[in-house]
Amino acid sequence: MSQSANALSPVEAWQPLPAAGWNEAAARHLLQRIGFSATPAELARVLADGPVKSVERYFARMPALPKPRQIADLEAEGPEIYRNMASGSPEARRLAQQDARERSREALFDLTIKWLQLASRPENSPAEKWLLFLSDVWVVGAEKVKNSALIYQHQDYIRKFALGTAPNLAKLMSRSPAMIVYLDLQQSKPEAPNENFARELFELFTLGEGNYTENDIKQAARAFTGYRQRQGEFAFLQRQHDDGRKTVFGQSGNFTGDDVIGLVFKQKAAGTFLPRQMVSFYLSEEPLPADLTDALGAWWAGEGYDLRKLAMKFFTSRVFFSPAYRDAYIKSPVQFYLGLVQDLGLSVAPLPRQLIGSLRSMGQMPFDPPNVRGWVGGRSWINSATLSARRQLIQALLSPLNEDNLNGDEQIEIAAAYADGISNFTLDQARLAEWAKLPAADRARELVKRHVPDLAGTELERQVATFLERSAQHSQAAAATRAALATLLESPNYQLC
Amino acid sequence: MKNPAHLLPSTRREFLQYGARGIGLLAFSRFAPGFLVESAYAQAPAPEKDRSILVLVQLAGGNDGLNTVVPYADPNYRRLRPTLGLPEDQLLKLNDKLALNAGCAAMHQLFKDGKLGIVQNVGYPNPNRSHFRSTEIWETGSGSNEFLPTGWLGRFFDNACNGTPKGGDPCGVNISNEVPQSFLSEHQHPTFSLAAGRNRRQQSENLALLEQMVQTPAGHDDHDNAGYLRHTMMDALVTEKKFQKVLANYQTKAVYPGTPFAGSLRNVAALIAAGTATRVYYVSLGGFDTHNNQLNAHANLLKTLSEGLAAFQTDLEAKKLDSQVLTMTFSEFGRRPSENESRGTDHGTAAPLFVLGSKLKPGVHGTAPSLDVARNQDLTYSTDFRAVYSTVLDQWLGCKSSAILDQNYKPLGFI
Repeated sequence: MSQSANALSPVEAWQPLPAAGWNEAAARHLLQRIGFSATPAELARVLADGPVKSVERYFARMPALPKPRQIADLEAEGPEIYRNMASGSPEARRLAQQDARERSREALFDLTIKWLQLASRPENSPAEKWLLFLSDVWVVGAEKVKNSALIYQHQDYIRKFALGTAPNLAKLMSRSPAMIVYLDLQQSKPEAPNENFARELFELFTLGEGNYTENDIKQAARAFTGYRQRQGEFAFLQRQHDDGRKTVFGQSGNFTGDDVIGLVFKQKAAGTFLPRQMVSFYLSEEPLPADLTDALGAWWAGEGYDLRKLAMKFFTSRVFFSPAYRDAYIKSPVQFYLGLVQDLGLSVAPLPRQLIGSLRSMGQMPFDPPNVRGWVGGRSWINSATLSARRQLIQALLSPLNEDNLNGDEQIEIAAAYADGISNFTLDQARLAEWAKLPAADRARELVKRHVPDLAGTELERQVATFLERSAQHSQAAAATRAALATLLESPNYQLC
Repeated sequence: MKNPAHLLPSTRREFLQYGARGIGLLAFSRFAPGFLVESAYAQAPAPEKDRSILVLVQLAGGNDGLNTVVPYADPNYRRLRPTLGLPEDQLLKLNDKLALNAGCAAMHQLFKDGKLGIVQNVGYPNPNRSHFRSTEIWETGSGSNEFLPTGWLGRFFDNACNGTPKGGDPCGVNISNEVPQSFLSEHQHPTFSLAAGRNRRQQSENLALLEQMVQTPAGHDDHDNAGYLRHTMMDALVTEKKFQKVLANYQTKAVYPGTPFAGSLRNVAALIAAGTATRVYYVSLGGFDTHNNQLNAHANLLKTLSEGLAAFQTDLEAKKLDSQVLTMTFSEFGRRPSENESRGTDHGTAAPLFVLGSKLKPGVHGTAPSLDVARNQDLTYSTDFRAVYSTVLDQWLGCKSSAILDQNYKPLGFI
């Protein structure tokens, strides 16, 4: 597949897609890759607007995620929680810790649901996926951070600079209380600089392996001493900061953390690192030829590492639209879930047990990646157990919600949503009955075109039609339609985008 | 259902007859179904079909232990349950202290026949009252302040199911809405999910269509990811197809009630009877979160549980498979001893669990909780749930529990 990418020269690769290459398939590719699915409404609009105007629209600003209630509560009671954790008998302290941890997890579920709800709106999807991408670079994990208010704040920090410049983002990231906890800056002091953050800063956040020395890490770690978080706020402790002379990347001076970040972005690798990450997150598990990413990196460095400009360039480029990459990328569990929600016209159900349980079985708990490397992605998403989990999710979304099986707190959430007029958590059975009135061949064409368009007009569409015809005789047309729909969503093709 | 020519083979022999149809090319590529390339796993010992089997029954929502195994002789019970307290004459007595809920008639018979064991007052230190978290603690076998990435059965698979079992059978099968967290493992093992209560005819038609889809060359065949997906899916379909055949042809030797739960147990019996190499089955029964007007709802749930288990046991006995199977229930927590203002009960802590089988030591095990508690105070557990797991692992599944659990627990007497 890299052949056709190879066929483009480094200059051609990043030129805008010529008008002749713009069509429905290209528009669908754009929507599925920068967002979670191609809904008919967005598809029509994007097709009319063209790639440049569309990407400009999607990346005009980051949507706001209002602070979820349980996060706000957690923050408000933070001081008291900290006090309880630090005073009283060992038993009382232990109980306070346990209580804090539980509250934090509940708040994380609240955050997860609120974020999924925000991201599920098609107009927000590209920006929220961009946020997911940057969060998968600047990784923190809820399990270690143990305070979901910091997790929310970390995401909010990324949101602030997601369309700004990479150096500004990096500087803010080094001050993110969640990051300070996650990569152990909290304990870093002149006598014992902790190298964890400095190492990941170079290796996983900005440059990549091979672009720094062990000594660069040791010296940079000294520059980040004194970075602390105090009850969710960044604090710089001058007394705990090593302000001596350091040599990083061959340069010497009394560097601060920000100085080190400044030096990072003078490295050639800083230009190519994020574009390579974009390739693997958005385009293909296989890297692009180095001369292509080098060219993009050099251009991006010249643009002051402007993230919006990078997104614009990348998502409108000839290489991004290269036919070799179409329908070949394995959807992540989050994309699979949100894509289903959008494709089926549903709302994200306020049911953490089901939703988070399902995402976990599929292999992706939002805000809690397995380690600082983030999610591996690609084929690692797929094995018999995760496929089984994907199929169970489909069955759950296509069948009416069984309210008898809900726990009391879940029934309350659902009732509250109903009161707000939101009830489309699973496929509308009436809509299914409507579809069932169409002739089998038309239904098959619609279902295939909508959900696995790369199979439109193939033998498979005919098989779906035959399947629907056979079941029509059992006067079970609606059930058969649901079965056909489930099958299409379970198919290998639907796992790809 | 007939087996049209285009469907996937589910045995090696069928496969060899498959000839040069669409699948042929794929099958001989690196994307061949797993059971054809299992030589890759040949070195790994796989579970054998005559080995012990565990059926885990989840009572989701938090089962009210006090109204399941009722301490009818304890005056505190009446004090704590002024309206929900079950009248003595409606109870099924186990001994001079304990009785079963009237919904448990079938289980009462199993108890009298020496096939049902009760482990009293099972829980863990520093109990958590969140459904999500407490379920997670039970499923991962963790302490209440500890977060484990794998489930206790997943770690059993990691230790005991090295490689793919014979014939490509899954290590674990779940009949529940989600893949249980218990199954999460460090290494990859085939597990399989069966839907509860779905229309079987339609399901097999759906399956046939999916099979066609996996095989129909369409566009991106040569692409690695598409090929990889088709291969992984084919594996799952081969298992599903095999299972569908087993389920469709199964002749029960017992009358199963019409509940989806009993249907799930019937399916488990069918798979066991077919000699499936699977060692762990997980079946979920929901609805136990009884915050209000619980009296009838709870009795009905217990009736569903009880009659389903009894039919399952009868069936296994008639097939002479009963000595191979141990069934065990669990629930994320018990409920508060004091009833609430809505004639229901709120989230609590410890509760009894049931074990069922022909090879166990029947009767009542462990000690009962003290009911000398203040209003809204919770029970204090006396048996750690990990001691139950460790007993099952060491004495039933034949796997060293020290490899699965963080510490050694004293074996309980029920096996």
